Formats: sequence, structure tokens, C-alpha cells
Amino acid sequence: MEEGNSIIYGLEHQTRALSPQYESDAIRFLIGTQSLKPNTNQVHVVELEEDTGALHTKVYKHDIGEIWHLRCSPHDAATLMTTHNSYDPETSQCTMGVSIYKLPTLDVIPKDADDLSAIQGRIAEDMALVTTITPEKPEEEIRCSEWHPIDVTRIGIVMDSSVSVRDITTGQVVNSITPEGRNRLKFSSGKWSPQAINQFAVLQDTHIKCFDTRMDGCKTAWNIDNAHRQLARDLDFNPNRQFHLATAGDDAALNIWDYRNAKEPIFSRTDHSHWVWTVRYNTYHEQLLITGSSDGRALLTAAASICDTEDDKKLSQVLEDGVLQSYEQHEDSVYCVEWSTAEPWTFASLSYDARLVLSRVPRHFKYKILL
Amino acid sequence: MSDPDTNKQDNENPLDIDGSSFNSEMYLDCLMKCATLRQVMDKEAEVITQSQFLQSEMQTLVYENYNKFISATETVRKMRSDFQIMQEEMNKLSENINKITTFSSNISETLKESGNNVNRLCSTRQLLDKLQFLFLLPTQLNKAIQEGRYSDAVHDYTHAQKVLQKYGDQPSFQSIQSECSEIIYDLKKSLREKLLTPDTTASELAESVGLLRQLQESDSSLQDIFLNCAESRLEQHLKSLSSMVNSTDILEWVEKCNGAILADLGIVITCYHDMFQDKENTNLPDFADKVMSQVFHLFEDVVRRPENIGTEILIRGLDKFFRKLQAMSEIISSDGVSNKALDVVIQCINHKATMQHQTIQIQFKENLMRVRQSLATKGTENADLKDILNSLQVYLMQKIQASLLDLMAFLQNNLSFGLKPWCAKGVADSCWLVISETLINLSDMVKTLSVMQTSNNIPFELLLILAKLCLEIQENGVTILHNHLTRLLEEASPGLSIDKKDTNNIMVNLSTAAQSALDSEVVFIGQTAAQMLRVSVLARDWLRAPEPRGPRAVCRRVVETLASADSAASQLFPTNFKPSSDSSRRTIWSRAPSSFSPINRLFSERIEVFSPAGADRAALSNGALKVALKALVECVRLRTFSRHGLQQLQVDVHFLQQRLSCMGNDERLLNALLEDALSSAQLRCVDPQLMEPSIVDIICERG
Repeated sequence: MEEGNSIIYGLEHQTRALSPQYESDAIRFLIGTQSLKPNTNQVHVVELEEDTGALHTKVYKHDIGEIWHLRCSPHDAATLMTTHNSYDPETSQCTMGVSIYKLPTLDVIPKDADDLSAIQGRIAEDMALVTTITPEKPEEEIRCSEWHPIDVTRIGIVMDSSVSVRDITTGQVVNSITPEGRNRLKFSSGKWSPQAINQFAVLQDTHIKCFDTRMDGCKTAWNIDNAHRQLARDLDFNPNRQFHLATAGDDAALNIWDYRNAKEPIFSRTDHSHWVWTVRYNTYHEQLLITGSSDGRALLTAAASICDTEDDKKLSQVLEDGVLQSYEQHEDSVYCVEWSTAEPWTFASLSYDARLVLSRVPRHFKYKILL
Repeated sequence: MSDPDTNKQDNENPLDIDGSSFNSEMYLDCLMKCATLRQVMDKEAEVITQSQFLQSEMQTLVYENYNKFISATETVRKMRSDFQIMQEEMNKLSENINKITTFSSNISETLKESGNNVNRLCSTRQLLDKLQFLFLLPTQLNKAIQEGRYSDAVHDYTHAQKVLQKYGDQPSFQSIQSECSEIIYDLKKSLREKLLTPDTTASELAESVGLLRQLQESDSSLQDIFLNCAESRLEQHLKSLSSMVNSTDILEWVEKCNGAILADLGIVITCYHDMFQDKENTNLPDFADKVMSQVFHLFEDVVRRPENIGTEILIRGLDKFFRKLQAMSEIISSDGVSNKALDVVIQCINHKATMQHQTIQIQFKENLMRVRQSLATKGTENADLKDILNSLQVYLMQKIQASLLDLMAFLQNNLSFGLKPWCAKGVADSCWLVISETLINLSDMVKTLSVMQTSNNIPFELLLILAKLCLEIQENGVTILHNHLTRLLEEASPGLSIDKKDTNNIMVNLSTAAQSALDSEVVFIGQTAAQMLRVSVLARDWLRAPEPRGPRAVCRRVVETLASADSAASQLFPTNFKPSSDSSRRTIWSRAPSSFSPINRLFSERIEVFSPAGADRAALSNGALKVALKALVECVRLRTFSRHGLQQLQVDVHFLQQRLSCMGNDERLLNALLEDALSSAQLRCVDPQLMEPSIVDIICERG
């Protein structure tokens, strides 16, 4: 994968679920497909062989339904969690749920000819289902589910009108958060705060709200009102710097906030030409952000000016704020982007037309940051 | 008988009887030879008569001369006897004169002594006079001082001073001197006190200092005292002036200022120069600058007062002030003051210009508020946007032109600064400032309004109007104003060359403002429609949708929203594009789900949803359509459809396609987005079966 050349991987069905595999040394991404046809959905594990630039995949069946959201466990590389939806023709109703699976093997690169043919034939293998959690009200729509960053047994499930923290061993509701009675704005997504343990940030219409999950009720730990002029679509916490988070929304903006002072974003760019569906901080270099938008682009943006520290003013000097690179290999809306957890300069972007693109940060920016 | 030759010869001619070389022999010979006897006879008779005549004549002569000789001899004899007498007389005289000389020397010797005595007496008398003056001096001085004739006193004292110094060691003089010194000391003291009393006039002050100077006060201390006194006096003036700032108008103030402080300062400076000529200006410039800067400061305050903003009064006040300042600058003879005077004028002009463009801005804002309210109350249908645009534009242009004309008053040629090139330049700059500031303020205001649009609920018509206003001014207004200004300047001060102003910056500002207003309008309309579609798609249960009976109500609302924006835009941004009527007949033939692949998209252009809007009705409508329909696509993808749900969407899409194709001019764009929406719905459908197009047509028409 040389500079400017991205590697494209195509799937058969529409896709809007992507996750990097944590706790792994390989550049590995998991993709979930979205198809309403029964028994056609799959989870693809894609691995980029760094030395050769070859792409290897392994396909697993996901017959429980179409995948809306997928998260690999931060605690165990083989474990993953999908948020899925299935249609029952008899009741003509959709039901959503969250399932946790365990991959039979972490290996993707074929070891022998059998493996190779299996992969070439894209024969889907089985995963071990650990548990399935369903909402208390069956018709409730689940937006996403997130692993607790430390507690292996906890997950946070964001639903239309509530967030529930569940214990995956028992499936019990540990805590539940419902929005304040008056506005009844629906939740669209959410995430655990990596620094303040047990804080869960939720996107509610144009606002960001963070709840302490150990407390009952609806009081927020902090909130950013009107983070976007239109619906807020995604958020990501700065992995290295407390209080900083990035948000993306339907006003095509990428905003970075210090939530201690949430009046104005500390950084704001409007480089996309449609809604921004996702934003991710680079885990190693907090000044690099990648965003995906329904304008069919992934943009690599530098936010160096707000990453300067007192004693080191270097960052903003070597790197100018703004778009570093626009990745235009997608033909349809890009709903997911993820950095690799194993290699700081590689990321994957996934568009609705089932195209995964693995790209790199251009080399000259990499050298600028490193040197 | 004889020609000149013979005459000449006659001179020597021995034949000429009257000649000196007459030769009687030759004559006789000649006569005998050539004459007849008769002729000889005649000749003889003639010669005899002539000889007789000559004889008698000679005798008379002899007698006469003899008489004379005898009388002369007698006279000589008489003279000889007379001279003897004279000699005796002369001897007597010289004797007498000798006597006189000795007498006179005797007398003078005797008189010498008494003359010396008289001289001595005279000088003694003079001395005594002086002494008397000295002895009387203290009383004289006192008297003079009491009568207030300080200058006489000082004059007397300075005269006496020399003598006193000379004979100061004599005891009697010492007492006089000490007495005088005391009196003079008192005088000095009283003079100083007088200097320090605040109500002394400047001329009195000058006089006092002059006297003190004559009394040999050291210069520097005198200068200090003088300046201190002057300063305290001027400070009083300043105080009274500053108290007047808020209570009088500029004319009165300037008059007072000119009459009081500037006049006094002039006197002070002139006196200073007169008295301390020898010293080169050491303290004076500082002093003058200090005072003047305070005056200027006050003047600025005066100019700032809102009551003094009227052009006429301001200019008259400024004129008076400037005239005085020019006079002052000659007195002070420092460049600082004259430069400062120019600055004051320029500042005044600038201030006036600033006030004007601020006023224009405020008034324009108020106007805009009215427009906004009327748009909000009237509703969009009845409003004649073109009318509003025209009135705003005319208003703005007239206001600017009026203020330019107003500023030209500074160039009236009866003003002291009216025809100066620097003033003309200042006016030109200020005029340009008015133009550029007003237009840039306009741009900024439009930009702010555009940004605020979502939060402040500004009518989109206003955005259209403002965008058009900016564009119109950018296209024509700037040039018109620039030419207007050039013409005004040409009239006001002919022959003055004014550098061409940079219009580019204004143009860029205006066009970006127009762009942002247009973008904001497009996004607003698009988002309004998008929001309707989003809510309607997300809230509906598409799985349990009944069989479609017509397009959903939301589609009509979307069409209405887009159409009202389109018609508003058509008022201001007419386009030549005529929608072809049969294009709406075309039905979307949806792609089969299988064709939903990257390949299809490869051949269609990428649609930039939030992109800069063109200043054109069709482009504006295109922009809004894109925003609305792309939102529809994205929302559809989040839902799951039953067969009826899909068919309902098919009807909706068909309806939208029919109604929206008359807006905008990019049918491909419209169709691509609607196709995208429908094919996305097909993908999200559990039983993807579309309706017969003919039925869709019927349903749509029925609805």
C-alpha cells in the first residue's frame, strides 16, 4: 500500500458497521453487512498484511439479522458485539437486539491450501454466540451498544429513548437513563468516556449529554447544548487529552470541544459537503482526525493548533490545521471510518455500497509529525 | 592792379613805397623808365603832398608824448615823498601791536586761576545734584512704588545702582544702598506676588517680568517663574474651557478659546521672546506644546459632542479655530503646532465621516428591521421583493451620496483650509472611508445575518434581497459611488488629483457576503424541506403502512416550501430557463436492487450537496432541492419498508419528481437523487415490489 494508493475490498451487501480489532498486532477490521434477506448477513474479518500489502479476509455467518453496529471487545480480541435487526414476516415486525460472539480463531491469513480455498470461496464460517440481549420493550430501536472501557461485564446500549447499562453475564439492567420528560428528543448514538470511568455520553438531537451511570435518573454530568446546528451524528473522545471530544453532525461540521467550557467549539471545520456520519481520533496522534460523510468522502483533518502543550509548541508549527487529504475512492455515503489499532497511520473507511477502503496517512505528513 | 602774387611780392617789393624794403633808387629808376613825364610830374606832386602830410602828423605825435612824459615824471617825484611818510606810520603800528601782545598774555595769565575755580564749582554742583538724587532715592522709590509707577522706580534704581556700587563703601551711601535694596527687595517681592496672583493680565505679567529682569533677576529662574505664572493662568483658562465643553456649542467654545487661552498664549510667547532673546528656546516649545496639546484635547472633546456634529457649525468652528492656530503657529514658530493644526482638521473630517457611516449603518439596520417585520407579518406571497430591494438600494446610495456631499463642505473655498491640497486629500480619503466602511459594514452585516439565519429565524426573502443588494452594489454601486466622488471632488477643488481608490476589497467583501447570504438561503430552504422529509420518514412506521392512496401531505408541504422560495428567487434572480412542460411527464423507472452497485455511480457525477449557490433562480432552486432530497435518501436508508411502505414512497417520489421538475434546471440531478431515494427504499424493503407506473401516475394525479 504505497502512498495515495488505497486498497479496496468489496462486499455483497450494504454495510454500515465497522470496527477495528483491539488487543491485536495485526491491521484487522471487522465489517458487518446489512441485508434484509434472511440468512445472508455476514461478519467479514479483513486483515492487511503490512509487509506485502496483501489483503486477507475471513467470513463468518451472522444469521441473527442485519448488522447496524459492530464493536470488537477492547478486552478480548476474539470477542465482538453486534447490534442487529431482523424482520419477522409473520408478525411483520422488526426486532432489534445486541449479540456477543466469539471468533473461533484470530487468524485470517491462510496457513494452508484448505484455508486458502475456503477463503477464496468466501465460505462463511460459524462464530460462537455468547449471549443475546434484547430490549425490555421488543419494538424499541437500538442505536448502538458499546463496551465498557474497563469493566468486562458491562455494556452500554443506546436505544431510541433510553440508555441501559447491562451486565452481559446475566443480561440484567444495571442502570437505565431516560431523557428528561419534556423534550423527548431521541438518542441517536453514544459512547463511554475513556477517562471518566462510568460516564456515558449520548447524542440527543443537536445536543451531547453525558450521564454518570452509577447515578440514577436523568441528571447529566456535563452537556454540550447545540453542539451542531443540525442533528449530531457521532462523537469520539480524545484518547490522550482529557475533556476534549470531537463531534460530527448534519451541518457538515466537525467540531472539537472542551466540555468544561461548552459554549463554543475550540475547533470547527466544515469541509464536507453533506452530513458527517462519523469521526475518529487517531489513537497515537491526537492531532489527526478522520471523518466520513454522506458526500462519499473520508477526510483526514489536522487539528494541530489545539494539541499544543505549554512546553511543546511544535505540533501546530509543522502541521497546519485543516484537511490534509481527501479520500475519494467511495461512490456512496461513508458511514464508518476507523483507525487501525495496530498501526498508527492506517485507517479503514466503509461506504454504504459495501466498499471498504484501507488508506494511509500520506507519507510527508507522517514524516512531519514524526520528525 | 595787383593780384595776390604781386601783393605778396609787394611785401618784399623794393618798389612799394610803403614797404619796409623800399629802395628809392630802384623806385626812381623804375619810375623814370616806365612812366610818362606827366605821370612823373603827377607822382612828384603826389609824393610831395604825402610827405608834407606825414611831416605834420609826426610833429603832433611828438608833442603829445612829451606832455605825458612830463606828467609822469611829476607823479614819480610825488610818490617818492609819500612813501617816506608811510614807512614811519608802519613802524609805529608794529610797535603798538607788540605792546598789545604782552598785555593780553598778562591778562590771560591772571584770568586762568579764576576759570579753574569756576570749573571746580560746576562739577561740585553736578556731584551735589547726584548726591541729592541719591539721598532722595529711597523716598522717590517709595513714592513711585506707592503710585504704582514701577517702571520709573526701577529706572531710577538702576541709575543709582551704578553710583551706589562705586561708592558703596562710604558709610553714608551704605545706608542709602541698604535702604534702597530693602525697597527694591520689597518691590521685587511685590512684583513676584503680583506675578503669582492669578488675575494679572498677560501684559501686566510681561511688564512685571520685564522689570524683574531689569532688576537683574537671573534669567532661568525668571523664565521659570514667568512660565509657571503663565501656565497657572492658562490652566485657569483651560479649566473654564473644559467646563464649557458640555454646555456651549462649538462656535462659542472656539471663540472663547481663541479669545482667552490662545490670545494669552500668544502674548506670553511674544513677551518671552522679547525678554529672553539671548536664550535659545529651551523651555518654551515644551511649554507651548503642553498647553496646545491640552487645547487640542479639549477641542477633540468638543468636536465629539453630538450637538456639534452639524456640518455647518462644525466647519465654522473648525475654520475659526484653524485660523487662530495658523496665527499661533507663526508666533510659536514650531512645526508641531502647524502640523497639529492640520491634524485637527483631518481628524474633524474623519470624525465627521465616521459619524456619517455609523449613522448610515444604524439607519440602514433600522430599515432592515422594518423590512424584516413587514416580511414576517405580510407573508411571503404579497411581498414585492423587487420593490423592497429597490427601496433599500436607493436608500443606501442616496445616504452615501448625501454624506459625500456633506463632506464636500470642508472644501468650501472661503474656509482657511478649504483649498489646501492636504485638506482635499483628507476629504477624499474620508469620503472613500464613508463609502468603503458603509459597504463593508453592509457586507459584514449580511454575513452575520447569514450565519445567524438558523438561530434567528430571519425570513429567507430578506437573505435573497440582501444577496441581490450586495451583488447590485458590487456590480454598479461601487463604480457609481466612485465616479460620484470623483465628480464631487472635481467640482469642489478643480485640478486636484485624487489617487484612484482600491475598489477591489469592497467588491470582494460584497461578493462573499452575497454568496454567504445565498448559501444560507439555500441551506435554509433545503433544510426546512429536509427536516419535513426527515421527520416524516423517521416517524412513520413503514412496515405497517397501508396501501398508498396518494402522495403524503408532507410532500405537498415540501413542494410548497420549495416553490415559494423559487418564486421569491424568481423576483430577484430572473433566469432565462423555461421549464419544459413535458419533462414532468417522465416517470422514474427505478433501478432493480441488483443494479445498485458502484458501477452505476461511476458514471454519474458526484453530487455536492452543500455547495456554493449560484446567483440565479435555477441554481438556487437546485441547491435547495439537493439538500432536501439528499436528506430523503439518507433517512430512507435508516428505515425498513414493507411492500406498501415502498410503494407509498414510490408515489411520493413520483409526485416530487412531477412537481419539482419545474424548479431548477438540472433534471438529471433531481432524477438521480429521487432514483437514489427509491432504490435505497427498495434495498430496505422486506418485500421489494414496485407499483405499476401507470397506477402511480393515476394515484398522483388523483391526489
